[in-house]
Amino acid sequence: MANAASILFEALSPLNLLLAVAGVLGGTIIGALPGLSATMAIAVLVPFTFVMDPASGLIVLGAIYTGAIYGGAFAAILVNTPGTPSAIATTFDGYPMAKRGDGDLAVTLATIASVFGGLVGAFLLITLSPWLATLALAFQSTEYFWLALLGLTLIATLSQGNLVKGLIGGLFGIFLSMIGVAVIGGDMRFTAGLPSMLGGIDIVAALIGLYCVPVLIGMVAAPGQHLDPGEARGFRLFEAIGLSLKNWFNLLRSSLIGTLVGILPGAGGSIASLIAYSEARRASSRSDHFGQGEPGGILATESANNATVGGGFIPTLVLGIPGTPPDAVIMGALMVQGIRVGPSLFQSGDDTVYVFMTGLVIATLLMLPVGLVVGRYAYRFIVNVPKAILVPLIAYMTVIGSFAIHANPHEVMVMVVLGIVGWAAGLAGFGASPIVLGLVLGQIAEQGFMRAWMIGGARGDFLGQLLVNRPISWGIVALILLTMMLPLLRMRRVGRRVPQPVNAQVVGRSVDRAGLAGSVVFLVLAVVILLQARGLSVMAAAFPYAVGTGLALLSLIQILRSLRGHGGVNSESVSADGTGRGLVLAATMLGWALIFPHLGLFVTSVLACIILMLTAQFGRLTAPRLAAYLASILVMVGLFYITLDRVLNLPLPAALLF
Amino acid sequence: MIGTTARRLIGATALAVMGMAGAALAFPDGPVTYIIPFNAGGESDITARYQQQPFQKITGQDLIVQYLPGAGGAQAWAGLNGMPGDGQTIMGTNLPHIVLQPMLQDPGYKTEDIANVYMFHFTPDALLVRADSPYQTLQDVIDAAKKMPGGITAGGTATNSANHVANQLFANASGAELTYIPYTGTGATESALVGGEVDVLWGYTTVAVRQGDAVRPLAIATEERHPLFPDTPTFKELGIDMVGGAYRGIGVPSSTPEDVRQQLSDIIGQVNADPAFRTQMENDGYAVIDVPYADMDAFMAERTAAYTAVAEQLRAQQ
Repeated sequence: MANAASILFEALSPLNLLLAVAGVLGGTIIGALPGLSATMAIAVLVPFTFVMDPASGLIVLGAIYTGAIYGGAFAAILVNTPGTPSAIATTFDGYPMAKRGDGDLAVTLATIASVFGGLVGAFLLITLSPWLATLALAFQSTEYFWLALLGLTLIATLSQGNLVKGLIGGLFGIFLSMIGVAVIGGDMRFTAGLPSMLGGIDIVAALIGLYCVPVLIGMVAAPGQHLDPGEARGFRLFEAIGLSLKNWFNLLRSSLIGTLVGILPGAGGSIASLIAYSEARRASSRSDHFGQGEPGGILATESANNATVGGGFIPTLVLGIPGTPPDAVIMGALMVQGIRVGPSLFQSGDDTVYVFMTGLVIATLLMLPVGLVVGRYAYRFIVNVPKAILVPLIAYMTVIGSFAIHANPHEVMVMVVLGIVGWAAGLAGFGASPIVLGLVLGQIAEQGFMRAWMIGGARGDFLGQLLVNRPISWGIVALILLTMMLPLLRMRRVGRRVPQPVNAQVVGRSVDRAGLAGSVVFLVLAVVILLQARGLSVMAAAFPYAVGTGLALLSLIQILRSLRGHGGVNSESVSADGTGRGLVLAATMLGWALIFPHLGLFVTSVLACIILMLTAQFGRLTAPRLAAYLASILVMVGLFYITLDRVLNLPLPAALLF
Repeated sequence: MIGTTARRLIGATALAVMGMAGAALAFPDGPVTYIIPFNAGGESDITARYQQQPFQKITGQDLIVQYLPGAGGAQAWAGLNGMPGDGQTIMGTNLPHIVLQPMLQDPGYKTEDIANVYMFHFTPDALLVRADSPYQTLQDVIDAAKKMPGGITAGGTATNSANHVANQLFANASGAELTYIPYTGTGATESALVGGEVDVLWGYTTVAVRQGDAVRPLAIATEERHPLFPDTPTFKELGIDMVGGAYRGIGVPSSTPEDVRQQLSDIIGQVNADPAFRTQMENDGYAVIDVPYADMDAFMAERTAAYTAVAEQLRAQQ
């Protein structure tokens, strides 16, 4: 570091500060909208940074990135839909908090946690980069496999009511992750002969569908506001700071987990926040409250995912191996500016990279004011806007969000279909989160295991490659065992205090019909998986065989349990009330996804939004109010349409109209 | 179905009008969307980023890079012909991908569906080891592999890819069987090599440049020694007939008019001629080539013939 003062001076120049504010603000908004990702925003902006001074350009890109990871929390808390995959775990406690009227507190907690996590990540980036990069290289395929398993143990936590149903959901998610061209083996798997399925199920499209569609159906099912408005209480900043101070160790641990997992290329924010959540719950004395709106849960996930920003830059800058997709875009921008990332970067004596790191710290600090203000508006907006506008708005966001991922109408279809599947599964007591965990972690687990198998096979020592000779894996396996033991230990403790509490509920239960039907469907799926696996190469068939067998066994067990009345109550399970309106919503979204590539995005969206507005309207609709609603729908559809078409330059499908 | 017919008529008319408008106006008449069918950070992305500035200088229009990754590029290529053919949307195309994928399975497109207008560079195959590897020469690897067939692991990106082809060609020519380990993306292969998970890596000269002192290239698949690696022999020098790598170019939807294709080809040719662009590319290990639209058919026929035999072998292994 040639001259710390001059670096600080350059990073703090008025122009750079202004750019950082704009970047954080823009990033936060993009992150809050599901489907619009940091990668996309940064990719679009890179050419504009060519005309800037390299340091300024990089500060903008870093600010957008860190803002977007943070912004993902808003949608997670307020509408139960992670704005980015790294906010998946934020829905677990964020949405329950919002439901009970503490949405403002949850947003402030997420802000504090994000700033803290971001600072820890950035600090480690500045101080320990070269050393931590070596650590990243010590994690190999085997460790990725065990890390994915550690993430999957969260299923046990998330399916408190019924572990068997949770595991079935997890295996279903892993099955979804296997659709498409197998990376190892090269076979086409479970595409049903459709070329459009070759790329597999996109995780973001699945997230939007599985989380958001059931929320929308729930919103139209009953009158009343989406969230409890609560009273106007300001930011609740001091309450949030108090909670954060009480959770200081949780924050620190989660931030370190976030940085460490962020360093691992390909693992990224989603795994980091899942593991941090799992560890926070395991260590907490209030672990029973996790999943029901526990502030500690939000603090853990949001500090971990923002810590991955700094962490992800470590392999990017030191090894020239991007940690996450946004890192990769920024790496490209650095190379265009003539800064060669990789082993030689820190010896080159170029200060730009230090200005960039300082800019990242400043951007992270700016998240506090920007985030509190944006969060407050977002919260008041979601709470106060009538459902007749909120439902079409959120539905429209899910459609353009999933379209924007690949500029492909196919993803919209995937989103809607998975959303309806997720809703139906929810009715049968199969929660969405185990499915999402399986989908997010399935590929990492499969590829890690298969590579360890191939490499172990070549070296003639499979077990050594998988576990015996790998000390880091021992540590992860120990954590997995600890997490698995936890429910057992707790059961014993509870059992001692209250004798036989479980049996009391079993008496008088009737057959769990929905669970039974769901289990039969999963059993049929398992048979299909096993039959199709026979036509695959050995490398591509191993996991389908394992998943199919597991799914078949668990479905059989659940069929027996459902017959005996062990349905279980899932905290995420959906209510079947108001199914009529729900079906209209589902049908509208399906029609939307089918028609818009032919008729045109704008026209179809306006029509669909009007239908949804009427579906979500309870009580009489007066003429002036109808006019106001229609006007808002036109403005909102038009605004986002123009953003997609003109600002993001997404190629829209060549349709009849526009 | 009157509705369908009417819709088709309107659609066809609209397309025709758009086509004429596109031909009449100067190309490009607005920002050009450049779709990269892979994730950011790879060779396709970096070279597209290098093209942005000269493109802007030559045409006065922005070149906007977007990523549509999926199925090793197949998802984007399968959707290419459904995009508007006015020249404002162009897509990166890669060899051997667009030849091998349709040969080995049904990826939703055929090689001849893709209208390539220019091939602008290639990255020569290279066999790399990490700096402290016991293998000093290519012969060391061949000897070790012959002593213990399949006992040496070679990393590479994806299955049925350029790296996978290189592994197969090498086995054919040298008789050394390596166990090919597929990864997702170049970044993952680099950490696998530097971290010691695989013994050798099928990469490109670009990987050798990026990783600097951390890795050593044992041989490079060029005709003559690469200027950045004057001490590294070519495969040919060592008696192994391997010259090639991954070629990258630009394609357009099939509805794009001929004159727009020609103009685009001319522009990319001018980008390739930009001295700053060439220096940037060559310093990173890319080999700039010029295959304009007029020469494309001959080039594709030659490459397709070269990949056909190895595709048969890869298919037999599935």
